[in-house]
Amino acid sequence: MTGIFSYLVFFACIVLILGVLTLGLNLQWGFTGLFNAGIVGFYAIGAYTHAILTAAPQPQYLGNLGWPWIAGIVAAMGVTALAAWLIGLLTIRLRGDYLAIATFGIAVSIQLVALNWEALTGGSQGMTRIPKPLSGVFDTPLAFNLWFLVLLAAVVAAIYFALERILHSPWGRVLKAIREDETAAVALGKSARRFRLEAFVIGSTLMGLAGALYVSFIGFVSPFDFLPILTFQVWAMLIAGGSGNNRGALLGALVVWTIWSASGVVVTKLVPPSHAAQGAAVQVILIGLVLILVLILRPRGLAGEAAVVSRHAAD
Amino acid sequence: MLIRIAMALASGLLVSGQVLAQAACPVKIGGVLPLTGSMAPITKKIAQSAELAIEHINQGGGVKGCAVQFILRDDQGQPTVGVDAAKYLVEVERVPAFTGTISSGITGPIISSVTAPSKVVQITCCSTASPFTLDGRSAGYFFRTIPTSKTQAYATASETTKRGMKKTAVIYVNTDFGTDMLRFYKAALAKLGGEIVVEVPYNDNQASYRAEVSKALAAKPESMLLIGFPKDAVTIVREWLSLGGPRTIALNNSMRTMDFVNGVGAKFVEDFFGMDNAQVAGPHVDAFNKAFEEKFKTDSKGPGVHTQYDALMVMALAMNIAKDLSGPSIKDSVRLVHVPNGTPVGTGPGEFKKALELIKAGKPIKYFGATGPIEFDANGDVTGPALVWKVKDGQIVTDRTITIEEMQALFRKIEN
Repeated sequence: MTGIFSYLVFFACIVLILGVLTLGLNLQWGFTGLFNAGIVGFYAIGAYTHAILTAAPQPQYLGNLGWPWIAGIVAAMGVTALAAWLIGLLTIRLRGDYLAIATFGIAVSIQLVALNWEALTGGSQGMTRIPKPLSGVFDTPLAFNLWFLVLLAAVVAAIYFALERILHSPWGRVLKAIREDETAAVALGKSARRFRLEAFVIGSTLMGLAGALYVSFIGFVSPFDFLPILTFQVWAMLIAGGSGNNRGALLGALVVWTIWSASGVVVTKLVPPSHAAQGAAVQVILIGLVLILVLILRPRGLAGEAAVVSRHAAD
Repeated sequence: MLIRIAMALASGLLVSGQVLAQAACPVKIGGVLPLTGSMAPITKKIAQSAELAIEHINQGGGVKGCAVQFILRDDQGQPTVGVDAAKYLVEVERVPAFTGTISSGITGPIISSVTAPSKVVQITCCSTASPFTLDGRSAGYFFRTIPTSKTQAYATASETTKRGMKKTAVIYVNTDFGTDMLRFYKAALAKLGGEIVVEVPYNDNQASYRAEVSKALAAKPESMLLIGFPKDAVTIVREWLSLGGPRTIALNNSMRTMDFVNGVGAKFVEDFFGMDNAQVAGPHVDAFNKAFEEKFKTDSKGPGVHTQYDALMVMALAMNIAKDLSGPSIKDSVRLVHVPNGTPVGTGPGEFKKALELIKAGKPIKYFGATGPIEFDANGDVTGPALVWKVKDGQIVTDRTITIEEMQALFRKIEN
């Protein structure tokens, strides 16, 4: 019993970290219509910033400054925000698919920098001595994971309520206006570029935060963590959960990751070990099938966007 | 009073829990391998090798009188998926020992977030990145049956200095394998003598390497050490020769394939030489190859096939030697599978049965596996013999073999 509980705590931690990513994407795509296909790039910037600043000093690395955990988190968000702002300045005028291609390319470049700048990132060897916060106090795996779950739950709750607050403010309504009809929004005197850039930077900062949380939870980082597949997983989570709805974004992270993980359990239970390779292929098909079913049965996602524009207009 | 009863009950429960843990049949062993994704083509045989090992273990008597159940999960080549699968195996399936995986980028997070904190022994067939066994994060719970790039790098350095290679340009693939090879090669050269004039990394799967080759040649080298994989190496060597690079070229193990020789052109490669981990010949190796070929109707050649078999055999032997099936006990027994004065045991169910009888009688054993003698060093790494190969009359031939004893002497000389 404790085993299942212990696993579920770990599982929930991963879901919440993915949830932070999905919330970030939801602000960009769900509310502003920005097609960010470079999620993993911002995730990597946050992860590596945190790792480089907090890891224990080692002579062969430039970084590894041994900063406290919280300073690493704040710095990871700051550096990601700065990077997103610079990237945004260059790319935010691009429409739809063009922005997607640009951000995708940038994310791949960031991953290659991490792979090649060995003195800073450890290159393909990865970085191993990343401290886990308060792991001295919570010294069993279960205790640490429980504490981290509480921490993550608090972080996700704070992000959720902050996002709900700003999205229901006039600022949030402008984002939706831009998403629906940019020309009309501009005609009303709103600077579409400024609002798009703001949404892009805030969303990307959340992705950087997710990266920092991930490495301090796992204690290891390598360029392998930032392959493009993750970007598409996060997209699948948002679309399946309900684009334009923050609860949907979190629900999507939970449902899609559950499908991903549980399908593996189901397959190993049903398929004898001698056919493990075929079973694994079936698992991948199963994941695709369930995602397609969700989209057919709930085209707007599990929790679609609420039609209400303003709480004042609801009356 | 109530407290005392509660405590008595609790301790009673604890005791019965331990008894249950002892008697639980079947004994589970967990595994994670990239069954799908970019590594899938090489994983197929590795998974088959694992299946064969489990079959031999069960035919030879299992673990502590129980049959072994192997639960294999897919990591899809993705760290989060691999970590999740490993956590599930450790917590829900309660496996006391674990094998996996191939990519170092997935083995790393599994060590740091699953197996080491939970004190579960992890033996990998294939991950060679150096920090895992060196930095103490694994707390001694991580082992690998694949000789790390260190063995090959030291052997290469010994061979290049022996042949009097001077002013060497090193072109290496920028992966954990390539950077490790270069690092250990340099460390060895520092002790053995020799000079590197330029180090050029390259990224794999490019159409041309003219920029990298030109950069290397600009340093006016008299020889080259090329560390990489065959497809890219063909391109690099052709460009190197066409730009007038010297023909003294040393290669790593991956190039020991006819694809490379024919790709470059057999008549050009006669001056080259390369290194590889030597397959120790002997009845234990032949027995494995034969069993594999009989069961799967295909040869046992391929990366990770032999090392995966040994990973599981070592694990099962250590579990039998351990006084109980807790992680710490198994960890302490891993090095007892190959004791210098032990009775030699080999591969296959018959030999496994023999090993169990020796263990039961309290006698030490000395395991010779599909990859030779499996003796772990203080870091949980194995070393192995190496060979020097060259191309003669269009065929790959072994030039000479460096025995495991010579290799151990070389390690002492470089690391003392």
